Amino acid sequence: MSEASKDQYYVPHLAQWPIVGSIGLTVTFLGAIQALNSETSITPWMMFVGIGILLWMMFGWFGDVIKESEEKLYNTQVDTSFRMGMIWFIFSEVMFFAAFFGALFYARTFSVPWLGGEGTGLATNEVLYPGYEGVWPTNGPGELNGRFEIIDPYHLPLVNTMLLLASSVTITIAHHALRANQRSQTIFWLIATVVLGAVFIFFQAEEYVLAYQEFNLKLNSGIYGSTFFMLTGFHGFHVTLGAIMIAIITVRVIKGHFKPESHFGFEAVAWYWHFVDVVWLGLFIFVYIL
Amino acid sequence: MKYLIVIILLFIIFSLGSAMFYLVKGQGKSQNTVRFLTVRVALSVVLFLFIILAAKMGWIEPNQPVFMKP
Repeated sequence: MSEASKDQYYVPHLAQWPIVGSIGLTVTFLGAIQALNSETSITPWMMFVGIGILLWMMFGWFGDVIKESEEKLYNTQVDTSFRMGMIWFIFSEVMFFAAFFGALFYARTFSVPWLGGEGTGLATNEVLYPGYEGVWPTNGPGELNGRFEIIDPYHLPLVNTMLLLASSVTITIAHHALRANQRSQTIFWLIATVVLGAVFIFFQAEEYVLAYQEFNLKLNSGIYGSTFFMLTGFHGFHVTLGAIMIAIITVRVIKGHFKPESHFGFEAVAWYWHFVDVVWLGLFIFVYIL
Repeated sequence: MKYLIVIILLFIIFSLGSAMFYLVKGQGKSQNTVRFLTVRVALSVVLFLFIILAAKMGWIEPNQPVFMKP
């Protein structure tokens, strides 16, 4: 297709990536469910195969879109579609994290105090769980998975907050630099962002090792363990995805893509990184500190 | 102090949301997206420093249980 197709809405002839993505997600989550619920050593491999399919989809799909964009196949209508796509994607992300934060708030504010005898839970406490005080953090009256310690917010989590915040500062500098058409500056600060993101993920992994090996804080440590690992774990996935996307954006800037007045791909990824950072601030405040 | 932290966080979310609004509405020419993102980063740094100060001064207590040793 040539530039003559500007008035036409570009539709790819073969869109195989959505189904590849669906298969990848299914395999990943079946693997994850298996891995969480059984002791056999084969099962985590299924999850890794799924993640592999997802990575393949990402690189293939991103590659196709970049190629189509650089071949100038997209008109302003397609541009509007990308913006609409972004807002629906972010809407689903907000709902996703709202569900997990909601579970945390509900457990902390309502269900745990009820089990401890607050409000209308007096009979529940006296009859079913006598002696249970319902103080957060808790693994519930059943003391699931035994006693545990929690992560000190002013060590690793504080460092991680600083790292992620610094990475938001660097991506903002890169953003301003791109708008001012300072390419080398943009590239430098984008690379800095990816490195900071990678170090964040490394420390997050360190924290999990510490939690599992030293503190006996595990995914099955009752309501605290579940909410802690679901929130921080899915956030970690988002940082990983964000870092991959910024790495790809960096390569694109090096190749000379994007213009100061036209760089939706860059801006969307930058916004996503800011979103992931704000989610972390919420996590740092509500999971670790308050 | 806890409420102040939450209020600053709400301002951060508001500026992030505003940046999203201009990202989706504009055609990439407006400065508003990058402006609101800059505001959001600046507010986050302020919040972070405030949390450290609040913890140092003892205005907020981390939810560290002493009764839960393994």
